[in-house]
Amino acid sequence: MVMRPEDKSRILTEVQSRVVEEKVRLAQDHGQPLDEVLADSIYHERRRLSDDRNSSSKDELEFWRDAQRQLVRTNERQQKELLARIVQRYALEICGNFDERVYKLATRVGPPSLGVLLNSVSPLRLATRFSSLPSLDDAVIIQGAAEQLRRLHELGTVILAPTHVSNLDSIVMGFSVYRMGLPPVLYGAGLNLFSNRMIGFFMRNLGAYTVDRRKKDPLYKRVLKEYATLTLELGYDNLFFPGGTRCRSGAVERKLKLGLMGASIPAYINNLRAGAKRPKIFIVPATLSFQLALEAETLVDDFLKEVGKSRYIITDDEFSQPRTVFDFASQLLQLDSRIYLTLSQALDPFGNPVDDHGESLDPHGRSIDIARYVTVKGEPRILPQRDEEYTREVGQRIAEAYARDNVVQSTHVLARAVFTLLRLRNPQVDLVRLLRVGGHYEDMELREVYHEVGRLQDELRGLSGRGGVRLGETVQTGTAEDVVADGLRHFDSFHSKPACQRRGDRMFATDRNLLFYYQNRLEGYRLNRHHRLPPALTADHRSLRGDA
Amino acid sequence: MNAPVLAVLGGGTLGQAVAKVAQAGGAKVRVWTRTPEARASLAETLSDVELAESVETAAREAQVVAFCVPASALRHVARQYGEVATGDQFVLHAVRGACPGADFILPHRVLREETCVRKIGVLGGPLYAPELQSNRPVAAVLASRFDETYEVVQRITANTPVRVHRSRDVVGVEVAGALSNVSALAVGMVEALELGDMARGVVLTQGLIEAARVGVALGAQPETFSGLAGVGDLIPRHVTSTERHYELGRALAEGTTLAHALRDMGKEVEGVLTAERVVAFAAHSHFEPVLCQAVHGVCAGTREAGEALEAVLTADLELGRGVMWS
Repeated sequence: MVMRPEDKSRILTEVQSRVVEEKVRLAQDHGQPLDEVLADSIYHERRRLSDDRNSSSKDELEFWRDAQRQLVRTNERQQKELLARIVQRYALEICGNFDERVYKLATRVGPPSLGVLLNSVSPLRLATRFSSLPSLDDAVIIQGAAEQLRRLHELGTVILAPTHVSNLDSIVMGFSVYRMGLPPVLYGAGLNLFSNRMIGFFMRNLGAYTVDRRKKDPLYKRVLKEYATLTLELGYDNLFFPGGTRCRSGAVERKLKLGLMGASIPAYINNLRAGAKRPKIFIVPATLSFQLALEAETLVDDFLKEVGKSRYIITDDEFSQPRTVFDFASQLLQLDSRIYLTLSQALDPFGNPVDDHGESLDPHGRSIDIARYVTVKGEPRILPQRDEEYTREVGQRIAEAYARDNVVQSTHVLARAVFTLLRLRNPQVDLVRLLRVGGHYEDMELREVYHEVGRLQDELRGLSGRGGVRLGETVQTGTAEDVVADGLRHFDSFHSKPACQRRGDRMFATDRNLLFYYQNRLEGYRLNRHHRLPPALTADHRSLRGDA
Repeated sequence: MNAPVLAVLGGGTLGQAVAKVAQAGGAKVRVWTRTPEARASLAETLSDVELAESVETAAREAQVVAFCVPASALRHVARQYGEVATGDQFVLHAVRGACPGADFILPHRVLREETCVRKIGVLGGPLYAPELQSNRPVAAVLASRFDETYEVVQRITANTPVRVHRSRDVVGVEVAGALSNVSALAVGMVEALELGDMARGVVLTQGLIEAARVGVALGAQPETFSGLAGVGDLIPRHVTSTERHYELGRALAEGTTLAHALRDMGKEVEGVLTAERVVAFAAHSHFEPVLCQAVHGVCAGTREAGEALEAVLTADLELGRGVMWS
């Protein structure tokens, strides 16, 4: 089940009527005139289009010019009609072009697997080299609450909330959902992902809808949220990346933008009001852990740009180059690398844990009647400020789950050790300077690295024993030498320059930025206390600490 | 419209005062207090108030539940309340101090760990129970992440002399209240040692600096400490829990041991545990909470009050911009 055609038209009609009614109500009761809403849309869209002069934007520009002309001489009824047209336009753009024939073909031949990925990026290479590649099936390890996810899918509507490191995340998620025996989930994919025609084609038909992050019009965001709300109400499982965009620093995401996650409460309330049979919405945090990240170089480069200069949307990264994606995937798989997908215990839209029967639990395991959270004078009611607060709480619980279910792998531990030693060897150099121009020393003795890796392993094993983090196989059971060797093998395989390199009995920090990126995966676990070094990142993991 | 039902958990001075204000504001009030003797004496002081025999009976289906218990009892009472708590209830508390446990545990965290409630409101600022009972104006801060909590409290206090100021900074108001008690302990020592008003001012300023540093490290807004919940709480000399803290500070400075002084007072003095927890909390940072260290040292019997206060009076008072590591 992706989207039933009858649901698609229902959603389009309903989104339009709900958003228009809401805006008309706000105009009547709260003094937010319709013409201002319309003028705002026209302003934002014309501004966006003035920066984007490709062929398709000419039609769009014409639409908005026309809208502006109409706005000047309209009465209230005409304003409402214009609003309805804009909302419909947005809704149509967001909604995927679901085609049942393509869906059947895609599900018969297999999931959006490595085959599809490689086929879509390079059919020629696939023909010559694919036969020798191990399959994604062996590489992806799905662990945690997978069984619970399957049960909750039967009991209500599920929102998968994965960490976001790479554009490959959606492909790995799609593959994993298929392998768990679940139908494809709907998800909002950035417009830039559709630029690869084959990937775009499959994504569109396997449940992806379009999110154009260049659109700043609040009305567009409102339509997007209502679209997500309606799909949840109709029982479509969804995938939202709560981080909003790929994490630039490489750290486990801590402060989440949440965005569409806020659709879960209105969807639940609307379900209660409509007396839906399965009104509940379940949120399942999902932590993806890779040894290497495809776009690491671009992302960390963007992170280290001066504040305010970083880009929210990156269109020219490694993902946009099919050959790079191919090399990355094939090298990762040839290295016998593991991609861990850890599913955490589900949450309700108020941040409470949910058991296998779909019951929400309080901290003592007592069952909670969650309808009471949204009850006002005996009726379920939407209150935006209250609901936003509930969603913020969900965000905190998701971030905690990410930290607990992050799987630490060799590259992270090795990068952490080398970067820490680099900081200790250059005590007079602050972190910003160390990253931008380097310190006095760029190398260290190998035995120091082994010692630091061993120390980190001990600390991480203790933390993992207390449930604070998860460890990959080599980090858990291997020696420090194993971890260093495994880390170096990975670093050597893909990036234009390895993060660090061994030469004889010394270790060289060959790309400080990459070391920083991979070591950041261990930020937030208080591992620096031993050396009394301040953390490299601020508490929200979104910027460099000024005093580090 | 039906009168809201307000459950008051705890029948001490503050509990009684809250019950009276709520009653004057038109709420239907139920009070739970721990012992039958206390219940009997409440029956004499509070008229038209339902006296409940258990926490559950008092709080079941109440619209608002107000915790007026000492920090040490909060977890126990909250756990009982958790049996009947529902997500639509508003929970208020006026606990000023760290709660027992391994870390620096703030009261709202205890309420969250023991119940399913979300709409928590923290009462802070210069709350003084006798003022609440008289008809004089009282200003208080109500910190809650939910607008609804403020609205319901405002409805209850609308026709009373209580003026509630709104804040969203739950952590800040709790930390400000907790640390003001540590300051009060130190002020008690200053007075016993007759160090004068200047010393009193330095101690209060240092207390505020430490509150801000600890608060910000825990996620509070720095502005909270310059508002009614911070500075505003220090200016009036008689705030709810201040007197017993002064009294204990005095006794300690005069050489009484903590155990004896507490036994003589027969009341909980939250500032003792708060000072200890702040010292432990700051142990891994570059920040030295000299006031909390001094108070903790005197309470633990490891430092003389005179020497400990000397360290506070000579400390650098510059309000650092840095934040403790968290």
